[in-house]
Amino acid sequence: MAKRIVAKDVDAYYGAFKAIEGVSLTIEPKTVTALIGPSGCGKSTFLRTLNRMHEVIPGARVEGSVLLDEEDLYAPGIDAVAVRRTVGMVFQRPNPFPTMSIYDNVAAGLRLNGIKGRQRLDEAVERSLRGANLWTEVKDRLGKPGAGLSGGQQQRLCIARAIAVEPQVLLMDEPCSALDPISTLAIEDLMTELKDRYTIVIVTHNMQQAARVSDTTGFFTIDGPGDPGRLVEIDTTQKIFSNPSEKRTEDYITGRFG
Amino acid sequence: MRDTYHEQLAEVADGLIEMSRLVGSAVSKATTALLDADLGAAEAVITGDEAVNALYKHIDQSAVMLLARQQPVASDLRTILTGLRMSNDLERVGDYAVHIAKVARRRHPASVVPVALRSTMLEMGQAAARIAVKAGTVIATRDLTLAAQLLADDDTIDDLHASLLQALLDRSNDFGVEATIDLALVGRYYERLADHATSISHAVTYLVTGEHTDPESYAAE
Repeated sequence: MAKRIVAKDVDAYYGAFKAIEGVSLTIEPKTVTALIGPSGCGKSTFLRTLNRMHEVIPGARVEGSVLLDEEDLYAPGIDAVAVRRTVGMVFQRPNPFPTMSIYDNVAAGLRLNGIKGRQRLDEAVERSLRGANLWTEVKDRLGKPGAGLSGGQQQRLCIARAIAVEPQVLLMDEPCSALDPISTLAIEDLMTELKDRYTIVIVTHNMQQAARVSDTTGFFTIDGPGDPGRLVEIDTTQKIFSNPSEKRTEDYITGRFG
Repeated sequence: MRDTYHEQLAEVADGLIEMSRLVGSAVSKATTALLDADLGAAEAVITGDEAVNALYKHIDQSAVMLLARQQPVASDLRTILTGLRMSNDLERVGDYAVHIAKVARRRHPASVVPVALRSTMLEMGQAAARIAVKAGTVIATRDLTLAAQLLADDDTIDDLHASLLQALLDRSNDFGVEATIDLALVGRYYERLADHATSISHAVTYLVTGEHTDPESYAAE
């Protein structure tokens, strides 16, 4: 089921460059947490430390610990691939596997995890597409290429693909920045539904989106070029957008800097 | 689409309707307390105002939350802006009912209203209660014809208020200083609460049409 994430004193490096420093926060299960902040503040980098995607980049490394419930994702002997199965990710641009059908896009992760049998796959594909609010739109053309869908539909296909393997946490890195306003609202509605089952963390440049969809908002910033990004404040979204504790948060969300 | 948001918006509207129901009944009850020297009714109005204030606070918080988080536009934006104004007006109407009830309580077991002014006061109280209830209906139905009627109803109160003051200034009536002050105050409370109900009429007109009512009509009140 949905899990709690506890980050303790997380630093992330790209080679010698320290991209984020000293990030500690707790993300409660079955909530949506939004991470906002100016470009280069490290919010996406931090997101990627939550499922060990950061270290995929050569020279990149993480210090500190990230606990999923009680388990440290960075403890020796932990399989990064298994972590990514538990902590799913949806990216900025919809990236369905271009040569695969809608059905196969959703089934890909399941097959990779050794799930076989037409009936089991059919059920899981339908469940995931329904979960991503896409089923009624595509149920008559499951064999058609996923790349033939609209941008908003492709992004929901990617969400269906991510939830097909039944992760406990869903990370979303600017999932709506390539979408039109209506598709954006559809994805936002979907997040509200998905949080009944998953812990969701979303990085967004769109402050209004953070305000609309999240329960908790964290604000990251950097002091200057070359400095590491830091978490300035994290609180209920209501508090952050009506009366933040930190002046830097207020200045950012009111458009006075950043 | 955006179900939660629309539910929250509807909650503001529902809160206003509930508030108007409460203050409408408070105004009637305050008039009963006043005319019948009914202490129980007076106490009920005074303690009942807590529920009105709680709704007022709740609407305020919901509005802040919606404005901060949902970027409401067009009619949604007007719903929230007018919701804030109307809850403020309704809260004031409730306060005036409390003021009237407190006058009745202070003079209990004596009656505030001398026999000679009973019918004027009764008429005023009934007109005020009618206006308060009608304001609630205008909020619930957004009926602009009814909203326009409210303005006319307010004229009735203003006329009654004027004739009350005239009776109080008439040297042949000797109600005593204390009673005269109480009556002048109570008359003023009815007149003011009716004004707040009228401003709800303007708010609903703006909510529906997006047009501000002619400021002349504000000045004329």
